Amino acid sequence: MLPAYVVCSPSLNSLCQNLISAEIYGSFFALMAMGLTLTYMTTKVPNFAYGSFVTIGLYTAFQLSSLNSWTPYQASVVAFLVTGAASVLMYVGILRPLANRGTPLVAIMIATFGIDIGFIGVFGIYTDYLQKVYHLFLAKQFFALPGDFSVLGVDGVAVVAPIVLAIITLGIFLLFTKTKFGIAMRASVENPSLAKVLGINTERVYIVSWFLAGGFAGLSGALYTLKFPGGTATGSDLIVEIFASSVLGGLTSIFGAVAGGLAIGGSEDMVTYGLSQGFGFVGVTIVALLTIAIGTFLVRKRTRGRRIGGIIFLALGVYLLIEMATGFTTDLFVAGLVNGYPDITPLQKGIPLIIMVIALLVLPRGLVSLKLRRPKK
Amino acid sequence: MWVIPQLIFLGIDWVSFGIDFLSFYGIYLGISLALNLEFGYAGIPNFGKVLFVAGGAAFAGSISGRLAQYVFAIRGDFIIQNTSIINTIDTKLVNDPVFVAELILVSLVIAASVGALFGFLASYPAIRLREDYLGMLLLGSAQFFQVVMRTYEPLVGGAQNINVPDPYFYWSTLPTGTGAGDRTLVAALVAGLFGLVVFMFAQRLGKSPLGRTLRAIRDNEDAARALGKDDAAMRRNILIIASAISGVAGILITFQIASVEWDYWSRFAWTFWPFLIVIIGGSGNNFGTAVGAFFFTLAYKGLQVLQPHISGLLPFDPNWLQDLAFAAVLILILLLRPDGLIREKPTPTLPRGKLAQLVAAMKAPAPNQTQGSRGSGFFRRLVGKVRPRKEKSEDPGPPPKTNG
Repeated sequence: MLPAYVVCSPSLNSLCQNLISAEIYGSFFALMAMGLTLTYMTTKVPNFAYGSFVTIGLYTAFQLSSLNSWTPYQASVVAFLVTGAASVLMYVGILRPLANRGTPLVAIMIATFGIDIGFIGVFGIYTDYLQKVYHLFLAKQFFALPGDFSVLGVDGVAVVAPIVLAIITLGIFLLFTKTKFGIAMRASVENPSLAKVLGINTERVYIVSWFLAGGFAGLSGALYTLKFPGGTATGSDLIVEIFASSVLGGLTSIFGAVAGGLAIGGSEDMVTYGLSQGFGFVGVTIVALLTIAIGTFLVRKRTRGRRIGGIIFLALGVYLLIEMATGFTTDLFVAGLVNGYPDITPLQKGIPLIIMVIALLVLPRGLVSLKLRRPKK
Repeated sequence: MWVIPQLIFLGIDWVSFGIDFLSFYGIYLGISLALNLEFGYAGIPNFGKVLFVAGGAAFAGSISGRLAQYVFAIRGDFIIQNTSIINTIDTKLVNDPVFVAELILVSLVIAASVGALFGFLASYPAIRLREDYLGMLLLGSAQFFQVVMRTYEPLVGGAQNINVPDPYFYWSTLPTGTGAGDRTLVAALVAGLFGLVVFMFAQRLGKSPLGRTLRAIRDNEDAARALGKDDAAMRRNILIIASAISGVAGILITFQIASVEWDYWSRFAWTFWPFLIVIIGGSGNNFGTAVGAFFFTLAYKGLQVLQPHISGLLPFDPNWLQDLAFAAVLILILLLRPDGLIREKPTPTLPRGKLAQLVAAMKAPAPNQTQGSRGSGFFRRLVGKVRPRKEKSEDPGPPPKTNG
């Protein structure tokens, strides 16, 4: 991701702007997906209220920025702690008692859904309070916050977000492989009852993972305000991308979540940008060839779903090539691919959704299940 | 028509409260029963309920307006000149009850088909994915559909909403003073009728062999499959049926408020609240859902009535308290009474009348035996219907397996 920054720094055209924006998005989604995956791995709860944690981060940054004039960078530390605490509170106060009662998974999912609506109420009360008492009239819907520095004409967050992501990923890697607690964590993910027998305090592991999960959401939420506008519904709306990132990562691996988040965040911006600008004649030919390549790769698979996907990809690629050869004006779809769709930008949320659907159909175990090396015989 | 007398008591207009209550209750009863069919009976946690309701509302609302515009040959772009076109249509609808009926019928059919189509599409992942993946997928799809409604203008006008033809226009009060003035009552009666019909249908379905099979599949998929039940087909069918009901609910709401607005269809109001209703009442149980919907409506409308009285006291909008309260109620119910207010019971395999006959036939030969041998304590008499096993085996008449 950093090369994009290096290439772009001298001159900022719109492609570079989009590359940078994609990189920021990707880093944020990777962080959020990491948190979601962490709690899913340890406690097996798909947390529908996760978007609200992001909103907590947003509002921590907003309040500290507008009342104490902190920069979002400073606020992100506080946001990490506050959101982590909220996340632990939610787990200890609501989800753990439910799980101890033997509540089925679906009921716990509904409970997290309910907590999400509870958070919406809390944010409503909180922003009303900010408006009435502190006269912050932008509290419901605020613009990107000030306080960012710039490096060679590029926003600082474009540099900071990937670095933060890298540090956290490295930290998690070291935690999982080098420390006793991390190994205990992995053990209680793999087999909780055996871990308990060995004297591992699984509850502590769960609480730590919920704290980290909330913290990552809060951190990325606070940094999010540097570049993008926010509001009470921002986190809630991001839930599609967060789920898509986690599902693409496979929901079973932290590093898969990082890859998924980068892929979703990057593709959402870049695909939208590409579709709105058009790929040109050469671009679409490359896309068609790529589609055919993916199709032939998938058709040879044994699973029925992958095969059908492969056939669809093949047909699409061949169709594209034929259309290109005949002058690409007969079909609005292909003409749009070449010259750009004018109204595509608002629909960019569809891209993570489509990727999620494809991932569920073709790669149900996520990116981590891809075997790039041939197995040795 | 007549004008309803106002009954004002405690500063609350109870007649309009009742009408409001009925229109809300009927719609939510229908949606929750549909959700109960999916979630309670078939075990599909449909976290994208809003998708099916909003789908019916958006497509049927949009198409019905265009249809009326075409029939009355009104010129103009349906989205841009929406208000004036709909006004013209409404004034023409008053004199044309036959067309109103046709329009309603066509809209209902469109809404049901759109819902059924969405349900069919959703059934593909629903029978393949685990419930958590399915939940994420459906929630994401519903969220995306909301984005489509907001941004794709030909559908429902994008960010500026569109009005739809108002089939209840005949009963509304016109600015000129004409009209019957009880539009809300008619709309509420229609909503109530819808709820009632869905309830009867769900009750029939629940008692039918299909309903019992669905529960069997939900409780033990492998055993049901081993007995030769096609679980995939049944889940698909129930999803299609329930989604069609949801679509119809969507178009009825659209007719009630006579417009389609993208931000009306939040996942909280149309996915979470039905789930809350089903959980309050007890899932897998139509009576429970009806009771749950009743209490939910009471709480919702009651808080609405209270709202003006407390809004001055608080430094925030009291509407938010409602969200908090509903979240708290859900958590408390799940913690303290996870089966809901009314527990799911095994359904009788025979009609009630026949069972009563059987029980009566069983009891008939030994009426004096109970009185004689069991003594005559007050409590004994209260629970006197339960007879000890020993006496039963002495009875020659009744078949041994049935019990009251």
